[in-house]
Amino acid sequence: MQKLKSTLPNMVIVLGLIAAITSSLLALVYIVTKEPIAKVQETKLNKAISDVVPGLDRFEEYKVKSAIGEDSLTFYKAFNKDGEYIGTAVKSYDNNGFNGYIEIIVGFDENGNVIKDVPLKQGETPGLGAKMADTESHFITQWFGKNLSSFTPKVKKDGGDVDAITAATISSRAYCRAMDLAYQTYLSQKGGNQ
Amino acid sequence: MSLLNVSGSPHVHGRESVSRIMLDVCLALLPAILVSLLCFGWGALKVLLLSVASCMFFEWCIEKFLMKRESTLGDLSAVVTGILLGLNVPSSLPWYCIVIGSLIAIGVAKMAFGGLGNNIFNPALVGRAFLLISFPVQMTLWPKPLVTRGSLFFNGINSADVDALTGPTFLGAIKQGGVEAVSNFSIMDHFMGTVGGSIGEISALALLVGGIFLLIRKVITWHVPVAFLGSAFVFAGILYLVNPAKFIAPHYHLVVGGMMLGAIFMATDMVTSPMTAAGKLVFGAGCGLLTILIRDFGSYPEGVSFAILIMNAFVPLINRGFKPHRFGVVKEVKNAKA
Amino acid sequence: MNQLQNFSKGLLRENPILVLVLGTCPTLAVTTSAINGFSMGLAVTFVLAMSNMFISLLKNFISDDIRIPAFIVIIATFVTIVDLSLQAYIPSLYESLGLFIPLIVVNCIVLGRAEAFASKNDVFSSIIDGLGMGIGYAIALTVLGMLREFLGTLSIFNYKIFSGDGALMFIMAPGAFICLGFLMAIANMLVKKLK
Repeated sequence: MQKLKSTLPNMVIVLGLIAAITSSLLALVYIVTKEPIAKVQETKLNKAISDVVPGLDRFEEYKVKSAIGEDSLTFYKAFNKDGEYIGTAVKSYDNNGFNGYIEIIVGFDENGNVIKDVPLKQGETPGLGAKMADTESHFITQWFGKNLSSFTPKVKKDGGDVDAITAATISSRAYCRAMDLAYQTYLSQKGGNQ
Repeated sequence: MSLLNVSGSPHVHGRESVSRIMLDVCLALLPAILVSLLCFGWGALKVLLLSVASCMFFEWCIEKFLMKRESTLGDLSAVVTGILLGLNVPSSLPWYCIVIGSLIAIGVAKMAFGGLGNNIFNPALVGRAFLLISFPVQMTLWPKPLVTRGSLFFNGINSADVDALTGPTFLGAIKQGGVEAVSNFSIMDHFMGTVGGSIGEISALALLVGGIFLLIRKVITWHVPVAFLGSAFVFAGILYLVNPAKFIAPHYHLVVGGMMLGAIFMATDMVTSPMTAAGKLVFGAGCGLLTILIRDFGSYPEGVSFAILIMNAFVPLINRGFKPHRFGVVKEVKNAKA
Repeated sequence: MNQLQNFSKGLLRENPILVLVLGTCPTLAVTTSAINGFSMGLAVTFVLAMSNMFISLLKNFISDDIRIPAFIVIIATFVTIVDLSLQAYIPSLYESLGLFIPLIVVNCIVLGRAEAFASKNDVFSSIIDGLGMGIGYAIALTVLGMLREFLGTLSIFNYKIFSGDGALMFIMAPGAFICLGFLMAIANMLVKKLK
């Protein structure tokens, strides 16, 4: 068969047909994958919250105005199977990690003690700041059970109580600031709402 | 134009050879090596010997098995690379880091480009930069000197454990705690060398002595070191005048960290610096400016090695911009048509 | 040229990464570990084979003046399919490859094969060409990923081989360039020897 000539109707029809076919193909794939993707994201969020507030059965999501900055943080009020309140997970962040943005999630019990904390997103240097992604490392576990009113969320070099990651002071500081932001905001909503 | 300027051919043959120049560089480094032995004991010697030995070994291996050409170990350039690499790392560096650094310096920075004379970047500095990025923990542990300034020359070489005590360097302290953090550092300690730091960078005095020796032997010219130190001083001075609470006084910049070692021994490397005097001035000034920029605004406390490596990349461009006059060619008269 | 040659040229002689040096941006970025390189390679192989097949099928309908937009639309479709399926079924992989899956659309090697091969050859050879090129790409990425992962963390496919820290630079961008340079040198040596 001869190759089609580049006339205007030819081009419009062919491009239009290709676009129609590919977009219907994509629509099909989208419909098929929509549910699994939503499920994946839900389990991811569920896992993150139950990581920091163990025993989670269901949660309520709401926004609280940040105690330090202008924007707001996402809070997840967690309840266990019997519907009892077991703690609040707070998603917090800092913009000044060694490679910019880091995001963490912290669980607080009703007295404001840290239950657990987990970094969610970080792009820190592999082998240095990225060690924070190891959720069993001392840097992460040292916060467990601490109350940030007595456990100063600053690295020891800055006069706080936190052991920094070796040779990654900037990443450690960013993490401390994110923890502090979560705690301060948690305090402010506690004072305001209850 | 004076006929005494360095120019294109024809040349009169001098007695310089690569090996004589390299030997002079080694001799010029002796005072700095001596001070490092006094300050860090045998740890410094171990690092230096290992880095020289591994640099020579890798050069020999690569030429013998990969390039299959005659060995150039005799020109001593591998020895100089080894010494300079050793002088640019802390004395507590584990042995495998030194061997890997030597392999990168010789294998990647020198031999991959075709050996001495073809390399774009200073091999020892490439090795150091590689180590700093690859082993940031080991490369920023600075053993404290074993002696104080008063007893520097009276204790002899100390054999105590070098790993015993580590402390922050001047530049590291500024990065962590700002200008106040360095108020108890003594500038005389830095001048003499009784401070923590890389093996060869601690004593500004010893490095200056070596630099004067090189100038007398005409291995280096004054242009690069003077432009390097001068532009660093001027730029740091401007920053200091603008905000003395945030930046330290310019004369500190000249004696702390690797400034002297870089300006006298690393930036003046014949292969990786420009050919003409004007080009050398531009090159040195660029190094000084970048060093202060990295020290005062960068995330690394020390910027000398990165500054020199960056300017190394500009050398071909600088050489194009500052071509030497061809012998006997008169400048064309402007407006020749008119 | 028989189909075997057609297939095997992508493996070494015309290897997209090591010899043609096409599509190096994602190569340098994703090969921080062997598994990342391998999965990126598979994703590209799928896109290459499918887009080659479709473009070769449609080559007579696509006139010269609109071939680039038509190719890009077809390629983008398959990339989006890969993107959505990864997101749905292998989320952990999607997280580590993330941004680079959509970027396959502008990967030179995919458009390059469409332009240079699929738009001139029959369907079957085009599929074979896409598979060969894709597998060559995957091999190069996997080897590069293994090399960098080993030098940088002393492990391969997340399996620790020696204890201790590797040279971190190899996981970062400069290490990628150095490793790729040496791999290219080795590939060129092999190509010369085979001749």
